[in-house]
Amino acid sequence: MKNSVWKYAATLFLSHGLLLPVFSQQSEPLINATLKGLVLDSISHQPIEGVTIQLEGVTHQVKTDESGRFQFVTGQRLPLTFSTSFLGYKSRRITARQAQIQILLQPAVSDLDEVVVVGYGTQKKRNLTGAVARVEASEVNKIPVASFDAQLQGKLPGVQVSTNSGVPGESIFLRVRGTTSINSSSDPLYIIDGVFLNNTSLQNIGLGGRTSSPLTDINPADIESIEVLKDASATAIYGSRGANGVIIITTKKGSYGSRTKVDLNLQAGWAEANRTLLPKLATGPETATLANEWWINSGLDNPALKQTFANRPYRPVAEGGKGNPEEQPTYDRLGFLLRHGRLQDYNLGIQGGSDKSRFYIGAGYTGQEAFIKVIDFSRTSVKFNFDHQLSSRVKIGLTNNFSRTYRNQARTGDGPQVSLFNSAVSSATNVPIFNTDGSLNGTDNTYTLVDNYDVNTTSLRYVGSAFAEVDIVKGLKFRSSFSADYNVYDESQYWNSKTSIGIANNNQATSGISRNGTWINEQTLSYQYAFGNHNLSAILGNTLQSNVLDYKYLEGNGFANDSFRQISSAANIIASDNWTKYTISSFFGRIGYSYGDRYFAEATLRADGSSKFGANNRWGYFPAFSAGWRISREAFLAGQSWLSDLKIRASYGLTGNQAGISNFAARGLWTGNEKYADSFGKVSPATGPSQLGNDDLRWEKTAQADLGLDLALFGSRLSVTVDLYHKYTSDLLLERPIVGSSGFSEYWANVGEISNKGYELLISSLNVKTRDFAWNTSLNISGNKNKIEKLPAQITQYTRDWVILKEGYSLNSFWLYEQLSVDPQTGKAVFDGQLSDGSLPTSARKVFRNAYPKFYGGIGNTFTYRNFDLGIDFSFQYGSYAVNLNRYFRERNPSSGGVFKNVLNRWQQPGDITDVPRLTSEGLNYTIDANSRYLEDASYLKLRQLTLGYKLPRELVERARLTAARVYFVGSNLFLWSKYTGDPESNVTSNPNAQGLGSFGTPPQPRTFQLGLNVTL
Amino acid sequence: MFTLMKKTRHFLYPLIILLLTGCNSFLGVEPRSSVSDEVTIVDGNSAATAVRGIYAALRSNDYYGYSFQLLGFFSADNIVYRGSQTVHQTLTNHTVKSDLAVLATAWNQIYATINRANHVISKVPGLALTTTFTETYRNQLVGEAYFIRALAYFDLARTWGGVQLVLQPTASASSLPQVPRSSLADTYAQVLQDLQKAEQLLPDETNRIRATKKTARALLARFYLYQKNWSEAIKYASYIIDDNSNYSLVTPYRSFYANNTSNTKESVFELVYDINNTSGQASQWLAGANGGTAWIRPSQDIYDLLVNPAIGGDRSALVSRTSSSTDPNILIGNLYYRTDRTDPVFLIRTAELYLTRAEARAQLNGEGDLTAALADLNAVRRRANIEPLEGLGKAALLQAIEQENRVEFALENHRWYDLLRTGRAQEVLGIASANRLLLPIPFAQVSIDPDLHQNPGLD
Repeated sequence: MKNSVWKYAATLFLSHGLLLPVFSQQSEPLINATLKGLVLDSISHQPIEGVTIQLEGVTHQVKTDESGRFQFVTGQRLPLTFSTSFLGYKSRRITARQAQIQILLQPAVSDLDEVVVVGYGTQKKRNLTGAVARVEASEVNKIPVASFDAQLQGKLPGVQVSTNSGVPGESIFLRVRGTTSINSSSDPLYIIDGVFLNNTSLQNIGLGGRTSSPLTDINPADIESIEVLKDASATAIYGSRGANGVIIITTKKGSYGSRTKVDLNLQAGWAEANRTLLPKLATGPETATLANEWWINSGLDNPALKQTFANRPYRPVAEGGKGNPEEQPTYDRLGFLLRHGRLQDYNLGIQGGSDKSRFYIGAGYTGQEAFIKVIDFSRTSVKFNFDHQLSSRVKIGLTNNFSRTYRNQARTGDGPQVSLFNSAVSSATNVPIFNTDGSLNGTDNTYTLVDNYDVNTTSLRYVGSAFAEVDIVKGLKFRSSFSADYNVYDESQYWNSKTSIGIANNNQATSGISRNGTWINEQTLSYQYAFGNHNLSAILGNTLQSNVLDYKYLEGNGFANDSFRQISSAANIIASDNWTKYTISSFFGRIGYSYGDRYFAEATLRADGSSKFGANNRWGYFPAFSAGWRISREAFLAGQSWLSDLKIRASYGLTGNQAGISNFAARGLWTGNEKYADSFGKVSPATGPSQLGNDDLRWEKTAQADLGLDLALFGSRLSVTVDLYHKYTSDLLLERPIVGSSGFSEYWANVGEISNKGYELLISSLNVKTRDFAWNTSLNISGNKNKIEKLPAQITQYTRDWVILKEGYSLNSFWLYEQLSVDPQTGKAVFDGQLSDGSLPTSARKVFRNAYPKFYGGIGNTFTYRNFDLGIDFSFQYGSYAVNLNRYFRERNPSSGGVFKNVLNRWQQPGDITDVPRLTSEGLNYTIDANSRYLEDASYLKLRQLTLGYKLPRELVERARLTAARVYFVGSNLFLWSKYTGDPESNVTSNPNAQGLGSFGTPPQPRTFQLGLNVTL
Repeated sequence: MFTLMKKTRHFLYPLIILLLTGCNSFLGVEPRSSVSDEVTIVDGNSAATAVRGIYAALRSNDYYGYSFQLLGFFSADNIVYRGSQTVHQTLTNHTVKSDLAVLATAWNQIYATINRANHVISKVPGLALTTTFTETYRNQLVGEAYFIRALAYFDLARTWGGVQLVLQPTASASSLPQVPRSSLADTYAQVLQDLQKAEQLLPDETNRIRATKKTARALLARFYLYQKNWSEAIKYASYIIDDNSNYSLVTPYRSFYANNTSNTKESVFELVYDINNTSGQASQWLAGANGGTAWIRPSQDIYDLLVNPAIGGDRSALVSRTSSSTDPNILIGNLYYRTDRTDPVFLIRTAELYLTRAEARAQLNGEGDLTAALADLNAVRRRANIEPLEGLGKAALLQAIEQENRVEFALENHRWYDLLRTGRAQEVLGIASANRLLLPIPFAQVSIDPDLHQNPGLD
């Protein structure tokens, strides 16, 4: 056998050496005929650049230049038959009888010939049997958010996107067909040019629960297209990581035999607060009035408090008070914090290729300032993709992505101290910002935090791969690749002597460096075979992946003064570190068969072994099957000219999940990270059990069935895609709560089941198309119903257990006491389940509503008129709820900080109809944390993106020696319609299980306005 | 087709064989910061680290560092909660529900501490002795585990009543404890048994941050006081009071904690923290100007008592008053003042043993007992720089001792439990229902543990 391997290798080598000249000899033209041509758009009669002209019978091909012209010489004689192909236009087969020819290409309204990227390969969209959604990056990449995932909102059916905060570069909440997991991650798998991309934030410094997104290291301008694989048939090839969908990012590659094209895009503008989403604070006099009322009412209800009208806090100064309410000033801290955040985005892309190689070089800079002071994000990136045909059989290539992102951060989100946005909201408006001596009043006020607290993060990221592809024999291709995703995330934080933490520690500096390194080695062998009407394709492969994450943390306390910031100058230095690793080994295969472009079938299998699991269940097997039937090709529908395409698809399969759980979740562990002293002052290491082991821990499994229909009508001017799916996840990886008397509160186990059922609808239509005017509409709506089918014990989330996971309910349901009304006679809050004696038993706390929308989606219209184009995109969601934590904190005791205007609607006298109960510290009115009064409908409709562009006239452009030039305006989040007070998408934490906790300390998403110029050389 | 298969086979076989053989070692990844269960307590050294681990659990934020403390703090009238989690105030007005998160954290951590102790109690006695790992040292380690287990069950019993007694370590998820709740008497019997073992095993040394025979005796004094076994309480308190070269009432009052002092003769048992292992409650005591939140504060009542020179005396150092932009009257507790959050938690102080003996003697009410009781009480008063009391009858003396306990341990976790053990809580704190003298078992525990039933009248 060894012998035959060598024999094979020798054959391979020789064939390359020998066959090459033979091939080139074949394509050497004998000059006999010259063909010149011009290719124009059939409607606009504009020249089209880059159209491939392929002469039949030979390998020779050329492309049209920027003026749509091509020319080739051939050994054949006229008439010549050749075909044209260009993305977005219908391909034509033409026979030229003369040496000069003009060709009109019809724009392809149908996208059925579109090639879609699927797992380990590409497929024509028309041949798909799985559910795959696609978006061209250019449709969304002008929206000024830091990462491509956040740009997808409202664009793709089955993809729910919520941007949790207005801080650029923070993690967002994205789900493909619902949430399947509780303690494991429900994020999709991200793959960029075949490299599995880390999507777990490396942030370690606490910023109030919100984390940065690692996807921001990828420049959206380098992306060509984004494909979302949704059903089991599409994702099972990624086996253990496919359960939550797979998002495949394909970057720009250049094309063979094309002229070098230089594309420059400059875009700048600003971000500002949508003021309707900002908290509305009561004025100084209002705050004081409410504080007095609270004081007096509480005193009436509980005389022991000794709070009376006579000693109310806001009484005349002469009486020892703080002055009457009407004398109180009003200070605007929020106004001070706001600004117009500068937005900049500059990108240069150079792409092209020769016969044997192609390349893309991208360089970009993005700068995004938040609309509140201090916070900003910037990214500098370089992209280099290169492929080269070593011989007719061997191709090698590289993809490279280098980037550096820099963040100036601040604490937003939760936390009693030092939360920047919160500091502007939580101080009462009548409290002076400055003391009479001009110094700042109190620690951690907004002004202090802006100037005296620094958090900076630099992320250096390399994502890339090198591959070689060998055509072994016709139809059989071997590919091997090595890929890496390497990220160094460097955080530093400094609290100077004016902040509370600085005061407490004589200044504090922290530094954390995380390094995440993934390497992947992958081999695939793919085969294509066609005979008659039969088409067979197969792929077989393996992957080895290893991931190491290590973290080093330094903290210095006690600095000489504010000028000393380096940790080495601190009096006390604390250090810690962490190291963790996992490996995955996989084998996979797929066989596809189609008959006569009518019947399609596909089967996939992947086997994954993960180091995370117990020795008993390390390997998981994930099969999937799918079939498609193009009915429109059947004889009985032939000749129906209105019907362009009709296909039904069905798939069923099993996928897995293991992301997000601890790398050592299956182990029984004792930690060595604790200390105690043997005698006073002598600290020594301590150990103790920290985790209960589970050798049976195994893969979380999701079975998914999908039924789909693709319909195209009227020459594909109207196309509809409908999908119905049912996902059922079992063996949930769960930190299962166990009896506390065991000494543990939970351990990792496979318990619980979750289902997601839903539908997706995508309608695209070309409403009008004339020579000058075109109008396209695209609508997508998706609904998903989530249900926890089995869970042994309820699990509560977040500090006050507002959110609960409980069997029979959706994930992220709320656990609250429902306030039904405010008694118009007494002003007391009336709760569901309240007993006749007025007490409220724990049993009255009920699970209801949840953070997920009943349906969501987007509707987009694009209009082009001559050189103008206009795009209007809306996104929406309906039926989601959120506890408005801002209101929870600011609509209570008015003497404990900022008060929202809504409290002015409180009950004051018998007969008042309101939902804001009488102000008092006694009774249930303001002592129930989990009060449904703060639960709000978070449905919304928003104008996500508005683009208006103008292509400069051709004559002008040519005079400037350019190929094309376009100026445009793009605005995002311009209008929002919602009942929610604030940004309905906001969430206090990046924790996916605690979604539905809105607003607290979290800046809403900004409105942005930008002007751009796009020039192509 | 055939040739194709042949060629592929040649190509693939070596590849697959290579990959399959490499796989098992490729998938074997060992953690570095933790170790697997089996290799934890194997010799003297590892036994010592495991015992330190029990203390680490005892002082953690979920137990004496914060959560457990809150339960006693807010249930009585010395300490109030003024933070954003207003639901903590339900402890103060005795309407607390079983879903209060801090109930569950404290409960779970106390049992986690017990589990650590159980590991030591079950494994260390079997370890082979060496020249450095002597029998005395082995006994000390086991004795410390018994001591902490006793303290943990004592805390459970006085807070929740009789509880499930788990005396074996939890080895795996398949062998979780399934035991019914024991009666209060049985729970206390277990405490006594463990304390007596600890007293017997522990060395007769002075170490204020670790359990010794003396520490065990001090806790036994408290235990017998709770049990109203007055003569034993007197006997055990006297062990400490009489050991006056090691234990005394330091003067002035604040010198046992102020100016970064710790480990003084006042202290019988304290849990220490350092900058790497800070105390969770510290930041909630600290004023905003010192980097804290002042969510935990002395009540107005205790403030008034402490600053009264006739009652508080030097103990007025425990409190101060400040204001902020939003709050003109912020009362600050000064027992926790270190801005680096390394304040120790004082579990047993010499003053407690004086007052324990005073109370036990007063209760005995025999000849000379009242005088002796008064002397013990006055020792504490004298140290606080207030006038000694004279000529009190039994009832008045007990009343004075109760008051003295209140101010002497104003910001330590004594008041609630003192009122409970003397049966005075309902009257003093105005609690209508006797059911409220126990806290509810955490909601989540009752719902997942069929062996655990809620305390009567609570939910």
